[in-house]
Amino acid sequence: MRSVSKARVWLGLPVLLAGVGLVLSFPSLAPNPYLLSVGIVVLNYAVLSTAWNFMGGFTGYISLGHGALAGLGAYGTALLITKAGMPSFAALFAATAIVALLAIPLGFAALRVRGASFVIVSIALVLILLLVFQSWASLTGGSSGLVVPRPFPQLLRPEHHRVFYYLFAGLLALALLCWWLIDRSRFGLGLKAVREDEDKAESLGTPTFAYKLVIFTVSAAFTALGGGLYALWFGDLDPVFQFSILSGAYMVLMALLGGVRNLFGPVLGALIVGIGLEYFKVEYGNTPLHLVASGLLLAVVVMFMPDGVIPSVSNVFGRFFQPTRASIREVSAEQLREEARR
Amino acid sequence: MTAPRNLETVELTKRFGGVTALDGASIAFHDGKINAIIGPNGSGKTTYFNCVTGMIRADSGQTTYRGHDITRRPPHAIAAAGIGRTFQLCRVFPRMSALDNVLVAARPGGVATRLRGARGRAEVARAREWLAHMGMDHLEGVEAGNLSWGQQKLLELAGVLMSEPETILLDEPAGGVNPALIDRIAALVRELNAAGKTFIIVEHNMDLVMNLCEHIVVLDRGRPIAAGPPSVIRSDERVLGAYLG
Ligand SMILES: Nc1ncnc2c1ncn2[C@@H]1O[C@H](COP(=O)(O)OP(=O)(O)O)[C@@H](O)[C@H]1O
Ligand SMILES: [Mg+2]
Repeated sequence: MRSVSKARVWLGLPVLLAGVGLVLSFPSLAPNPYLLSVGIVVLNYAVLSTAWNFMGGFTGYISLGHGALAGLGAYGTALLITKAGMPSFAALFAATAIVALLAIPLGFAALRVRGASFVIVSIALVLILLLVFQSWASLTGGSSGLVVPRPFPQLLRPEHHRVFYYLFAGLLALALLCWWLIDRSRFGLGLKAVREDEDKAESLGTPTFAYKLVIFTVSAAFTALGGGLYALWFGDLDPVFQFSILSGAYMVLMALLGGVRNLFGPVLGALIVGIGLEYFKVEYGNTPLHLVASGLLLAVVVMFMPDGVIPSVSNVFGRFFQPTRASIREVSAEQLREEARR
Repeated sequence: MTAPRNLETVELTKRFGGVTALDGASIAFHDGKINAIIGPNGSGKTTYFNCVTGMIRADSGQTTYRGHDITRRPPHAIAAAGIGRTFQLCRVFPRMSALDNVLVAARPGGVATRLRGARGRAEVARAREWLAHMGMDHLEGVEAGNLSWGQQKLLELAGVLMSEPETILLDEPAGGVNPALIDRIAALVRELNAAGKTFIIVEHNMDLVMNLCEHIVVLDRGRPIAAGPPSVIRSDERVLGAYLG
């Protein structure tokens, strides 16, 4: 066992360093501002799906409502700048704090139900917020949108992109660090127990509801940070895009595609989906074709790669490196239950 | 009986739609003993466990543990109060390693300790001890879902013991288990009982119950119809009646 995990570290470290090097040097390598902006979009997706994965990955609660939390972060940041006159980044952190506080009552309501019911409740959250933000035009600009002042008005466009690229990269690093820390903690083990069997975890002394509420709040905070930073970068908000089920669905797709049990799963998913979406936009313009492709991809992932691409790929490697894995399995519990039923 | 009270229920009632699973069950168990609950299928034994551990809420009635009211406490608080349990259809975390299955149950200290690494040296040492106690130390890295039924039962028990309960409820520990393993589980129960743990065991294997348990409660259609030591229960006419139909 131990030699396997050591080999993992030795294989993983160069990959990690190469990845970090690539991310950091991308702005210098990108030949034009357009590609740099694609890099920012992918990083933004990576932040959002990693943020989603605090909830979805650890506890197995599939939220389709996280798009609304990102939207709240975006609108909160924008409104605190335009209406309250706060400096850009103070507004970003204040909006994040507000969304985190809001997540507590939201969690109290939503986390009482499990499985499909939770998914429905999370969808309801998006629809309600969309209605509110669309109809409250005096505050939000309604469907004509809201312009967010730039935080660095003196910067030219390529420089603006470059600065935000590194801000998103820093935020992603922070989110990944937090996820990693929780993953190896006792708190994280309790959350994973919730994912596997919530009642059993509770019977062993894990305060499952409190755990879910805390991780939901953390997840909401990172999602709001991602949304708020996007608002500062993009400078223009429209409720139809900010509060769409689609943006939440993309977070789910990216995390599932890469693998929710893996620290870098959502990042990999964001890379694949982000580049794919951009490709469809360039090749086919504004057609709903990318929706069809996303839907198909989701179906394939759920049916054939329930743990995402990372475990599937490393399984292939694993078979390659240790062809004679010892089998301790005599008869599985499932088989026994099956027999008992007959 | 001078033994102090352990778990005690007063008029515990639970209905599922038209079915009355528990019908005003007033039962008291004694501290430091190996107690048993027996009764025909569907007599409410598992429901009784579920109610006293807070997994389902009784419609009415009261539960106390060592004199403290625990009727409306959530399950994790009841576990923290010192009551551990296993499930009739053995429950483990199938995609966690055997070691993690045991580590999950480590008693959390304050908030700060929950952010500490899950594999702290002291916890891992204790978890390995329990696995070794079950003869499973060589399986610590195996995903629990890949273990055999008997191994899963032992693993579930190791997890419960890791949570340091004073009182342990076992729901059919001998169900689907081979005779050698039954002997092993019985020996384990005796050993832990000698170390001060109280047991309440739901079991259909009468040989095991009569040999192992000092106090037996007989449940029939959600009510206790007899209680006493094996010698008394064995010759009780109501018990024979309930079992024979
Ligand atoms: N979750 C449930 N929903 C509906 N009926 C239930 C449920 N749990 C138990 N029952 C019913 O309650 C009665 C007692 O069941 P149970 O406590 O499992 O009995 P035992 O463990 O003694 O075999 C049975 O009639 C059973 O069908
Ligand atoms: Mg039962």
